[in-house]
Amino acid sequence: MLTDKTLEEIERIKKKYPNTKSACMEALQAAQREKGHVTECDMRAVAEALDIEPVEVQEVGGFYTMYNVEKPKGRHHVQVCRNLSCSLLGAEHIILAIEQELGIKTGETTEDDRITLSTAECLGSCGTAPMMQINDEFHEDLTVDKVSDILKGLK
Amino acid sequence: MVTLKVNGKEISVADGTLILDAAKEAGFVIPTFCYQAELSSLGSCRMCIIEIGGQKKLQPACITPVLQDMEISTETEQVEDARASMLEFLLSNHALDCPVCDKAGECELQDMVHKHGPRKGRFAEMRETFHVKDYPLSPVIVKNSNRCVQCMRCVRVCKEVVGRGVLGTIGRGAHQEETSFLKGELDCDHCGMCIEVCPVGCFMRRPYRYKSRPWDLNSTKTVCQYCATGCITKIEERDGEVIRSIASKDTEGFNGRMLCSRGRFGHDFLNNEERLTTPLLRVNGTLEPVSWDKALDVIKDKLKKSQPDRVGAVASARLTNEELYMLQKVMREGVGSSNVDASSRWSAGDSEAFIAATAIDGAGLSIDNCMEADTIFVVGSHISDENPVTDYMVRYLSASRRKTVMVASVRPMKLDRSAQITARHMPGRLGAFLAGVTLKLYEENKTKLSGVKGVKSLDGLSIDKLSKASGVAPGDIEAIAKKLSSSQSVSIMAGTDMIRLGDGTGGLCLLSDILKTLDKRVFVLPLLDRSNQRGAWDMGAHPNFGPGYSELKGDTGLDCGAMLEKASKGEMDLLYVIGDDILAMYPDRAFAEGAIEKVGFLVVQDIFLSDTGKVADLVLPGASFVEKTGTVTNQEGRVQPIKPLRKPLGKAREDLNIIADIGSMISKNGSFTGDITAETVMEDIKKDVPMYGDVECDEQGCRGFLIGGVARRSLKCISVGEEDTTELKENKKYPYYLVTGNHLFGSGTLTGSSSMLRKLIKEPTIEMCIEEAKSSGLTDGDMVTVESDGGNGKYRLQTRKKSSSKVVFIAENFNEGSVNRLYKIGERVPRVSVNKGA
Ligand code: SF4
Ligand code: SF4
Ligand code: SF4
Ligand code: FES
Ligand code: FES
Repeated sequence: MLTDKTLEEIERIKKKYPNTKSACMEALQAAQREKGHVTECDMRAVAEALDIEPVEVQEVGGFYTMYNVEKPKGRHHVQVCRNLSCSLLGAEHIILAIEQELGIKTGETTEDDRITLSTAECLGSCGTAPMMQINDEFHEDLTVDKVSDILKGLK
Repeated sequence: MVTLKVNGKEISVADGTLILDAAKEAGFVIPTFCYQAELSSLGSCRMCIIEIGGQKKLQPACITPVLQDMEISTETEQVEDARASMLEFLLSNHALDCPVCDKAGECELQDMVHKHGPRKGRFAEMRETFHVKDYPLSPVIVKNSNRCVQCMRCVRVCKEVVGRGVLGTIGRGAHQEETSFLKGELDCDHCGMCIEVCPVGCFMRRPYRYKSRPWDLNSTKTVCQYCATGCITKIEERDGEVIRSIASKDTEGFNGRMLCSRGRFGHDFLNNEERLTTPLLRVNGTLEPVSWDKALDVIKDKLKKSQPDRVGAVASARLTNEELYMLQKVMREGVGSSNVDASSRWSAGDSEAFIAATAIDGAGLSIDNCMEADTIFVVGSHISDENPVTDYMVRYLSASRRKTVMVASVRPMKLDRSAQITARHMPGRLGAFLAGVTLKLYEENKTKLSGVKGVKSLDGLSIDKLSKASGVAPGDIEAIAKKLSSSQSVSIMAGTDMIRLGDGTGGLCLLSDILKTLDKRVFVLPLLDRSNQRGAWDMGAHPNFGPGYSELKGDTGLDCGAMLEKASKGEMDLLYVIGDDILAMYPDRAFAEGAIEKVGFLVVQDIFLSDTGKVADLVLPGASFVEKTGTVTNQEGRVQPIKPLRKPLGKAREDLNIIADIGSMISKNGSFTGDITAETVMEDIKKDVPMYGDVECDEQGCRGFLIGGVARRSLKCISVGEEDTTELKENKKYPYYLVTGNHLFGSGTLTGSSSMLRKLIKEPTIEMCIEEAKSSGLTDGDMVTVESDGGNGKYRLQTRKKSSSKVVFIAENFNEGSVNRLYKIGERVPRVSVNKGA
């Protein structure tokens, strides 16, 4: 369930758009801020608030990698881009290095719930490829060593 | 016009025509997946790519419009190569499990690969697998996403045509899956449109699962019987069992691939074990099988002893034109009585007023033509439930043609979402609301409109008063009047609530006269709920007029209600009921039971033993619509043929033959003997009903809309002054207004015999406004007792958003808890109370 505060925020967001459906992305972001991911209930609540079908909310949530639909993630969500530019510049090695360092596979979460690893399609930062996103932040021009340091810094 | 060449052949087409359509006109079929005429363009599958002279890259024909002097090639090597590559790509993730796929044999992917495809795929990667087992999405749908070609036709049809939008595109790229919210059970219309449009075996029918291959089916192209939209459908059987009905690309009805849940899944009633197969005669209190000779002898004997004015017939408006024509002829010429009616639900006066208001006695008019108007105004109809495919057409055509839709109704409905203006009026107050709209138009154009007949009856009324009487805010009345006044052309679609509640026909007549005087083109289309209601009236199955709305030579007859009243006094010697279940439908069950009991001799002809049949003296087994020949006329005035799939069951007979046999027994001049078939009767109809003069039926079907000009406009509109414009009164004991009508999953008594539809509505329900329920301490799913002056019943509560707070709805056709027990004779809108608990 969403808190009243979030629902109020969604009401405010709604006013910015010509139709409520366009408000879906921002409303979903607001919902996600509550606990770092959105649940089935949250999506239903967003749909109800916007007077659209829940599946329309899921469409948005499932399309953009910035939304964590359903699955509770680790405290840190590491998303490594594996699209064209990043792949050409070695994304595969980066992914492999992270998997080895954390002892998990892509899509999994470390046992202490510290980190969830996933891959993403182009995150719009091709100029600084290869890159990854951790929660809301970009880490660019990655090398295997750099990645290792970054991971160690995640508490 | 644009002139271009397709594969060297020169053609001229209208500006903006798609290359796909231009090529088709030139005789070249371009393969497609994601394209579908009714849907918005997507251009995603690239199956339709073609070569345009001078352009290096191939272009998608389904989204590219033609230009002057274009040279298009659809069959070059480059195009064929590209097609093969697209298919190879689609197959790279495809399950390729044709041997166990229900779609095999009628699968677009299979056909396409067979024709254009690569002989071998080169992709070595792992296939994308969405799931191991197929998963159910609803009682009628099962899903397998591993076969998906991601054309999104399912998602688009659900949103753009059906208006539900409960399917989505989840994920992207190769991981994209078209499915429901979190793959959960769907709460939707269960119309199966997603199944029909899916080119492959992703969306599948549960009832048809693993049952057959298409080539093992025996089929007939016929007309759906569940409402007067009159969708063309193919009913298919295997080994004597009807297993599906389908509207596919090749059934070629005006409805294209569209059917609703009733039309697509409701025809399993044909297999119901309880079908009647032999005549039954009451002997010592119980119904016992008898021969036809015996049955007919008994009728002959009874008819001989009856006085003509003490004999009556009530037929279902689902019978064919030929049967209804024959019935009224037997009654009028054989028996010598005009006591013939084609509905037990409403009075002859109310239906006559409706016929006049919607000009049914004039010419036919297609929905497509109606949708040419700038503004579409739906009144007195719960179209989304009563005429689902008409609702689809209004939705997608108004969106693609950019038309304004306005809805005025008692209850909220799906079409509201496609409407620019909606007005919720109180039950029985459509007339007051329309009077308000006409008054507004009149006030603004006084000089021009002062000559319009009947406009004087608006004197003394005010918008304020009419707003109070109708429950519609003055602002909404004004907004609707304003929109009408700014439109060049207006289509008014008028539904059965106007007959059911005897309401609004006067307002509608005046409104269309006013709009015409204001130089607008006005179309009025009736929306009817029984498949051949219009035909029934055309044929003269009505106590007040004969075939073609002709004036009767003798006296007018009695309608069903009047016959029952006469019966209740013990003055009906014989009542002949065909396909109608008076006890379940007549709005006052207790009264109908008492009256029917007193009928001298009750003959019921039906395909099931209805409630009325159970108390009959003689029961005759008729034929269902897949066991007979004939024609039906839909609400548009489109005459369409019914064609048999098989012979009547057991000793059952086609209704036409039974009626004619009864006629021949009593006729003095032998007019009902000889070779009477649907064809010979149609010849008589063409002579007797001038508007059918142009109808030509043959093996292919019927051509011909009802023609105007020849029909006599004999029926008169009632005046708007007769509409109820009094103030609504509170009722403490019974605070709610009860309304009824068809349910999306049930109309009439046949749907109750469909086990599939019974899965969709399990028990009788009552719908109530969500806020009102909350404030009365009720929640969705509660069992409630509904009580009126007439009686009481138990229903499951369903809450609805955007309902009027004081209006509750119970569908007309629940076999248990039939709503007519809550009505008292003559009462159109019963007042009821709703309380928790059973
Ligand atoms: S059955 Fe009809 S309403 Fe339900 S998902 Fe399919 S298309 Fe949509
Ligand atoms: S499920 Fe069928 S209709 Fe829907 S996208 Fe896949 S192939 Fe197309
Ligand atoms: S809209 Fe009417 S005619 Fe068409 S399929 Fe549904 S019930 Fe049958
Ligand atoms: S490809 Fe990785 S950021 Fe664009
Ligand atoms: S049919 Fe043209 S792109 Fe799909």
